[in-house]
Amino acid sequence: MDDFICPRCKTSKFQNPSLKMMVNVCGHGLCESCVDLLFLKGSGACPDCRIPLRRNNFRVQLFEDPVIEKEVDIRKRVLRDFNKKEEDFSSLREYNDYLEEIETIIYNLTNDVDIVETNKKIEQYKRENRDFIIKNKSKIGREEYELEEILEIEKQQEELRKNVIKQEEVNAKKKKIQQKEALIDELMFSNANAKNILETFAQNVEEEKNREEVEVAKLPNKMTQFSTGVQFGRASQSIQYLPVKLDEGPLYSYKSVTITTDGPQPPTMDEVLNKGYTRHVRSETEQEMAGGYKANIACMRALQDALAGLFHVKKVNT
Amino acid sequence: MSSKLKRYEKIEFLGEGQFATVYKARDVKTEAIVAVKKIKLGSRVDAQDGINRTALREIKILQELDHKNLMGLLDVFGHMSNVSLVFDFMDTDLEVIIKDNTIILTTANIKSYIIQTLQGLEYLHMNWILHRDLKPNNLLVNSNGVLKIGDFGLAKLYGSPNRLNTHQVVTRWYRAPELLFGAKQYSVCIDMWAVGCILAELLLRLPFLPGESDLDQLTRIFQVFGNPTEENWPGLKMLSDYIEFKPFAPVPLKHIFTAAGDDLLDVISGLLVLNPLERTNCTETLQKSFFSNKPAPTYGPKLPLPQNIRKLKDLEKPSLKRKLLESAEGGTLSKRLLF
Repeated sequence: MDDFICPRCKTSKFQNPSLKMMVNVCGHGLCESCVDLLFLKGSGACPDCRIPLRRNNFRVQLFEDPVIEKEVDIRKRVLRDFNKKEEDFSSLREYNDYLEEIETIIYNLTNDVDIVETNKKIEQYKRENRDFIIKNKSKIGREEYELEEILEIEKQQEELRKNVIKQEEVNAKKKKIQQKEALIDELMFSNANAKNILETFAQNVEEEKNREEVEVAKLPNKMTQFSTGVQFGRASQSIQYLPVKLDEGPLYSYKSVTITTDGPQPPTMDEVLNKGYTRHVRSETEQEMAGGYKANIACMRALQDALAGLFHVKKVNT
Repeated sequence: MSSKLKRYEKIEFLGEGQFATVYKARDVKTEAIVAVKKIKLGSRVDAQDGINRTALREIKILQELDHKNLMGLLDVFGHMSNVSLVFDFMDTDLEVIIKDNTIILTTANIKSYIIQTLQGLEYLHMNWILHRDLKPNNLLVNSNGVLKIGDFGLAKLYGSPNRLNTHQVVTRWYRAPELLFGAKQYSVCIDMWAVGCILAELLLRLPFLPGESDLDQLTRIFQVFGNPTEENWPGLKMLSDYIEFKPFAPVPLKHIFTAAGDDLLDVISGLLVLNPLERTNCTETLQKSFFSNKPAPTYGPKLPLPQNIRKLKDLEKPSLKRKLLESAEGGTLSKRLLF
């Protein structure tokens, strides 16, 4: 890194130890002060290749070779669209071909081979896989988010486990001391056989140990809330979709509708079917039946039409 | 006539259809907000035939009907050679609600919409009228959550043994298979199929069978329900436009409507049956356990509304408050002045 020289002002790291090299998408380096000078207006042309650049696309050069920076840039851009994963392919072979293609595109773009052709290829891919790209993008975003969450949970659990172990150690020490004291007390003041006392104590200690082993420290549940009660993590996301306030209204029950016909009550559909009314109507053809028409419909309507409005009813004008 | 012209004050332009332009208007007499549908005259040739057929159908049918879930025709008036129909004003329609992805439709919401649709349709069918153009776009909803069936431009009386009807009715996505096969005698079953499609769309939030052509529509139907046979649909081959399709295996509805309960699947499977005679009618559907089961249908005013209407409602409230405040302040001011 020491022999870095800005191609424009020829300042080297030796002359200016705080020299910072910056690169943009074209892959040509420039020192920070030159960037400040040339891109005062926010945009301008690269002094090397005259490609129009934006100032806010400049970043600190991480690799010695600016071409690598360029490639990283291009790779990032290309992979944003070429975001298929292994699961999206039926065979490993296809997936490998796909990866191969990406590499070719990146290589072409980095080394200025067939730029127009390659860009066309990218555009075509984008057009063909638009839905797919969007879907995968959101999937990746979600996966990253979930990963972060899992890491967070693991961290918490780790800490808790540490605390628990520490606590246990302290407790165990205390207990040992207590037991020893108790044993000495017993030996000093009890009238029983010393051998018996020793045996019972040994037994007690053994039992205690067994019991402790059973009591595996239960890890507390995953945290989904800040101390203030504000939700975070995926739980808070799903909450958004659950504003299901149960507005329990009255349950629905079917009430049959009747129409005032101002006439004698026409027979019901059952009567039409069973009492031979349909004998006086042309029965439906097979074709009509297939269309959902049946003679009893026409019969019913004719009967209702005939009986409606037979009574004299005084119209009340409202 | 001129008195009627003055009775309705135009507020804003709402939309334009093939046959009519719709305006929001205020009824000066009752202070109610109404929708005025001004029928387009059309070309000279159309005008020679007299009043537009769809408008005539709408006037003829709606004047005799009165149900809370049917669009009420409040008034008809003419001016020069124009005819205008006055309807209840509705804030939105089911299509907007389905497409608005900020709305979450719960089972209770869907139940409420479907019950209202079926109640309106039941009344309609009882009066021997087929709607023949049921689709979410024609199910209008107002801010009180009342759903009304609208657009009776294709509605027609049914149940006559001799009259042949056209099978070129109903928007394709909601068209029943017998219509696609060219049936000229049909009955309430075609409306029931459309209701089934609407219910499916409410669940999926996407059109259930969005066919691109009449043939594609049939293909899509059979992809889900399997091919019809002479056994499950007698007389099928007699239909005028019947053609054999390549065989499809039926897909269980449970795989399509993964979130639906068994009682709801029962309703769907009753409505979406290939054989029209096997389809349940309104009365039978409304008696299914899904509708009487919990959760209870959402109470009207609590039904979700699209964003823009919600905003409007919110906007109205503060303005009312401000008015009250202003009047209150004005009151004190005047008092002071009096003093």
